[in-house]
Amino acid sequence: MKQVALRSVVVEFGKVRALAGVDVDARSGEVVLFAGPNGAGKSTLIRVMLGLVRPQAGHLEVDGVAHRVDNAFKRTLGYLPEAVAFAENLTGRQVLRFFARARGVSNARVDAVLERVDLSGAAKRAVRGYSRGMRQRLGLGLSILAEPELLILDEPTGGLDQAGLVVLWSILTEWREAGRMVVVSSHDLTLLERRVDRLCLLREGRVVAFDSPEKLRELAALPLRVTFGLATDRAQAADFAAAVDLALPGARRGEYNGALTVEVAPGGLLPLMDVRGSHADAVLTMRVEEPGLDQIYEHLLKAVR
Amino acid sequence: MGRVGLALILHELVERTRDRWVLVISVLFALLAAGVSLYGRSAEADSAMLTGPSLVTLAGLLVPLVALVLGHDAICGERERNTLGLLLSLPVGKLEVVLAKFLGRLLALVLAVGMGLGVAIVLAGEGQGAVLAKLLVPALLLGAAFLSVGVLISAGSERQATATSLVVAIWFLMVFFYDMGLLGLLVATDGQISQETIGWMTFVNPAGLFRVDMMSRFSGPEVLESLGMVVAVPGAGVRAALWTGWIAVPLALSGLLLVRARGTR
Repeated sequence: MKQVALRSVVVEFGKVRALAGVDVDARSGEVVLFAGPNGAGKSTLIRVMLGLVRPQAGHLEVDGVAHRVDNAFKRTLGYLPEAVAFAENLTGRQVLRFFARARGVSNARVDAVLERVDLSGAAKRAVRGYSRGMRQRLGLGLSILAEPELLILDEPTGGLDQAGLVVLWSILTEWREAGRMVVVSSHDLTLLERRVDRLCLLREGRVVAFDSPEKLRELAALPLRVTFGLATDRAQAADFAAAVDLALPGARRGEYNGALTVEVAPGGLLPLMDVRGSHADAVLTMRVEEPGLDQIYEHLLKAVR
Repeated sequence: MGRVGLALILHELVERTRDRWVLVISVLFALLAAGVSLYGRSAEADSAMLTGPSLVTLAGLLVPLVALVLGHDAICGERERNTLGLLLSLPVGKLEVVLAKFLGRLLALVLAVGMGLGVAIVLAGEGQGAVLAKLLVPALLLGAAFLSVGVLISAGSERQATATSLVVAIWFLMVFFYDMGLLGLLVATDGQISQETIGWMTFVNPAGLFRVDMMSRFSGPEVLESLGMVVAVPGAGVRAALWTGWIAVPLALSGLLLVRARGTR
């Protein structure tokens, strides 16, 4: 399986149009992130992909060919639902064993997955005694149990502590490197920023933008944030600030605690470097920050209002 | 039944045997059945004549309750826990999910009823135990019918609390007050509804069919006449059709509700 796509999908719940002709796809070896405000249609899109919601129009495509969400397709899927829950009176191992039996997976794989998500020690405890993070890790384990070609994770970072996040990152890396696909729906753009290949931004059931973070950064054309660590000599620092104002009027954002912050369009970085070069004694450090995915998200959402 | 369905049957059985409400009602049934059996054994009269009808009454009350409790959260419990989507993301059809949930819970019901009646049969002694064993299959049919109704209520309910209220109401209506309701209907209509119709209305309720059928078997048809039943217990074919209907129709409707739902959480 090289590509899974949803084409021209329309979903209406009564008078509410949840998806209005959406086109999205995931390709092998990439992690695709669905983002958008509440009610944007992220979860509905995932549920269409899982066959849990029947669209009024549109269809699923596998490798460019129209395909039904049948049992053969479902065998290629692994799914972590949002706020995952399990039968409270079963142990973690019993939960995984049920899904293993259902998917024809060996008990050895169950143990390996429990180890992978760091739940071996709690495998014999009833789920009712699990913390939110442990349940989420159990859900992650369940989603990868059958080593699916397409992994669908709905809000996977919810409740995860740092160790849990490390498990999640390792799963994303493994799936990408193995040439499989991952579709993630999340609000945690900052956490996922460096771990996704493409971002699909949804708003009111429509795709606002769908591209790599780099391309979206270019599209948004948001300014870079440059922070200079200044020398203790106040005169030198003042000279440098004046030179910045002269070269890039209005770019200076503030001066605080020996640091000068400037925001410039990507094209303004070279003149700023020149100013820095001519005031080498006044500047001790320089840090350039690209706009985060969360800022791009905010900008693009506002841009289409 | 595919791999997922079979796994689900086992999963349901394991989960139900850990359900404290099912355990409480099952143990209560077993204790009461044991008490009835011991009392019958100590009586001087034919113990099966005494124990049988008492067990029929007891099973007629408690088996539907166990079954409804077993079935009430089959679908809406998953829906409320947000796990129905996870289950349906497996390579399995919605109808198979309904059937597997029913069968898994039916196995748990077999254990509960088997334990209750089994204790009574063992305690009744060798000769009488064989007579009481006649109760087993009809009691399981009764349980299966109410389990199917419980699953239907579950499939039609968004929340578990709603399903709980509905199964309690159904139990009171179909098991507890049904006969009184029919009597009230007879009096209220001043005989415009014939006793024959009332008789058939008794049989179309699985609780009524079980009770009348078993009373007739234990105490003879003359007992029914003395109770004012002017209609004979239906033949085996009609009884089989009634039981099949009560088990299959609610189950089919449950599947239909799930299949027709446009979205699944």
